[in-house]
Amino acid sequence: MALLSISEPGQGKPQAHAADTKVVKKRAIGIDLGTTNSLVAIASEGHAHVLCDHDGHCLVPSVVHYAEDGKVTVGYDAWLKGAEDSRNTISSVKRLMGRGKEDIHYHLPYEIVSADNGGMPVIKTAAGNKSPVEVSAEILKTLVRRAEAEFGEELEGAVITVPAYFDESQRQATKDAAQLAGIKVLRLLGEPTAAAIAYGLDRKQEETVMIYDLGGGTFDVSLMRLEQGVFKVLATGGDAALGGDDLDRAIIQWILKEADITDELSYAQLNSLSSIARHAKHELTHSEKTQVTFEQWSGSLTREQFNTLIDVLVEKTIKACRRVLRDAKVTIGEISDVVMVGGSTRTPRLRERVSEFFGAQVHTEIDPDKVVAVGAALQADVLAGNKYGDDILLLDVIPLSLGIETMGGLMEKIIPRNTTIPVARAQQFTTYKDGQTAMSLHVLQGERELVSDCRSLAMFELKGIPPMVAGAAVIEVTFQVDADGLMEVQAKELSTGTVTSVVIKPSYGLEDRDIEKMIMDSYSSAASDKEARALQESRVEAERIVEALVSALVVDGKLLLSEAEYARLEEGILQLQKTIEGGDSEAIHEASEALNEATLEFAGRRMNTQIKTALAGHSIEEID
Amino acid sequence: MSLQKANYFELFSLPVSFQLENARLEVAYKKLQSEFHPDKAVNADDRARVQALQQTSMINDAYATLKSPLKRAAYLLKLAGIDAEEHNQLHLDEAFLIQQMEMRETLASLIEGEDIEGLDTMKDSIDKERVAILASFETKFTASHFVDAKSIYNKLQFIYKLLDEIDKAEEKLLDY
Repeated sequence: MALLSISEPGQGKPQAHAADTKVVKKRAIGIDLGTTNSLVAIASEGHAHVLCDHDGHCLVPSVVHYAEDGKVTVGYDAWLKGAEDSRNTISSVKRLMGRGKEDIHYHLPYEIVSADNGGMPVIKTAAGNKSPVEVSAEILKTLVRRAEAEFGEELEGAVITVPAYFDESQRQATKDAAQLAGIKVLRLLGEPTAAAIAYGLDRKQEETVMIYDLGGGTFDVSLMRLEQGVFKVLATGGDAALGGDDLDRAIIQWILKEADITDELSYAQLNSLSSIARHAKHELTHSEKTQVTFEQWSGSLTREQFNTLIDVLVEKTIKACRRVLRDAKVTIGEISDVVMVGGSTRTPRLRERVSEFFGAQVHTEIDPDKVVAVGAALQADVLAGNKYGDDILLLDVIPLSLGIETMGGLMEKIIPRNTTIPVARAQQFTTYKDGQTAMSLHVLQGERELVSDCRSLAMFELKGIPPMVAGAAVIEVTFQVDADGLMEVQAKELSTGTVTSVVIKPSYGLEDRDIEKMIMDSYSSAASDKEARALQESRVEAERIVEALVSALVVDGKLLLSEAEYARLEEGILQLQKTIEGGDSEAIHEASEALNEATLEFAGRRMNTQIKTALAGHSIEEID
Repeated sequence: MSLQKANYFELFSLPVSFQLENARLEVAYKKLQSEFHPDKAVNADDRARVQALQQTSMINDAYATLKSPLKRAAYLLKLAGIDAEEHNQLHLDEAFLIQQMEMRETLASLIEGEDIEGLDTMKDSIDKERVAILASFETKFTASHFVDAKSIYNKLQFIYKLLDEIDKAEEKLLDY
């Protein structure tokens, strides 16, 4: 069977020999790669603990600083540099993972340089341009070093958590970052799933669980169902622009109002206000009242007042919960457990309101900052082959539908969202014109009908289809989604079994060889990736024009064109083909345009003839 | 066990029939998953991992096919040698088609009137019809009247499509 694989299967490390392994415990870690903070944890015998540094810091701020001399600083030290060197201090890089520049609608303190559509955004730093994948890889490396320092041995691999709603490109980008950091990914695990595992909810018989995750800058809520050992995400929702920072902001605004400050504030003042607000928020977690001092002003803030300040925010989160329930067609009464994730869920008012709304058991026993990493570590230990207790099986679903572009710019769903993964679906395509030897496929992800409203995942060119009459060649394309939610496409031509060459053009993800290149060359290759992509796109476009013109010339050329006109178009085709051979996307684009222009007259005549033929009730063959 | 050769019913050790014991399917599904899932092969070689991936994909597909009455009906027809998606010889009675057109008009006016309650009522009544048609499919199929069973299946497609559209309309009105 002629199966051709568009993406190369992953290259696993060779297995360790049985002799080396004796009774050595296999160490695997769990990583919570967060927007604001990241953590690493390790589990053994069903118990997990988060690894901390010498100063007792367990959270690694997800911040990377690039110095002019190429020195890279990660975590708390990088965060400190943010004040004086914000342009070279990359924070919240998770928001950029697997995203295009057109997705970034908010202000960032650093500069994004990747210009136009289609490419991964690249961040300009003093040490050169860095892609979000590279920045994330730096954070991952720091976490792995922390784990290796503790155990002094090589790690088996890691489970890395991702938000449940992360799409294919975001998951792929996360996995790419791990590969770049030299980590074997045992599994990409949904953050809510990890939180539920941390509480052992996966060991209960039948449960409907809500995971309420209020991070520094994002709010995610996920509804999960456990049925006979199978964990399934039913629905997810939230607000990508709501988080603990908003609670601080509410306090800052209160201070400004109370202190009657209306002047523009300096960066230093804002910074100091932020930490004052954060401190006050923490104080009010255990105290009823706290003293707040900013410059000459001083006042006291009670928990009661604070509750009023944040009421709007709290209700926003409750509304998101309602929406998720409605989406999954689940009633509040069916929920047995609510798991609180994220440092901001320490806020007493939030806990009160959530427990009042759900009327279910609200879990806060595990540190909400650590719960995701703990769950990831427990799962990593199981996947590494260290058995304890019963086997659990986590089945994930695909969060967004996968499909392809069909006629008229519409998206045809091939794998609907919430389908249990891994999954494979085949779809058959046929050629639409005689002698057609290539076909392009546009793979999309999303729920909307219009292609323009969905996320473009990849463009494939299937080449080398044996020339046959239209409709005779049948190409079966299989879309395979693995347990991590990552996609691979395979294609075969059914009538002849011919092997065809395939070009992959990932829209945001990186190809394996791109990653290899990046590993070898620490400087970003994104610019050349982009040029390669542009070149490929212009080639596909040009080939399409040539093909269309050639088949039109065969049918009507001699009939509708003078010899001179025919020769001119032939010359145009040769010219364009020559340009295609070259590596200049701009030139190819221009030559394509020129040839298109030159065929307008011919196209007009063809249209006229066809209309006349249709009116006369004759086929073109008859006229000939 | 050779997964590839078994039909979906055999895969889960279930009788080939439209009547399905959900609990048995669930138990068998879970058992197969825990045996073949790629998570059980993270440390195996590439070949074994690819195989695990393909096997689980197949198990998931089989499960989804049997779980959904509509897909199960199409699959049974396929096992009986009938292509359920073959639409060239649709034998749908006129009365059914007229009824479908009327229902579509009703749906359109409910959407226009943003009548969520009306949509709910409509959904309930169509759902009752769905259950009745499923029962008649089972009768015809069990009696090996495959041609009749196929035309009932094609009716079911209309019904499921309509239910889906009502759902979508509700979602839109509820502002998702």
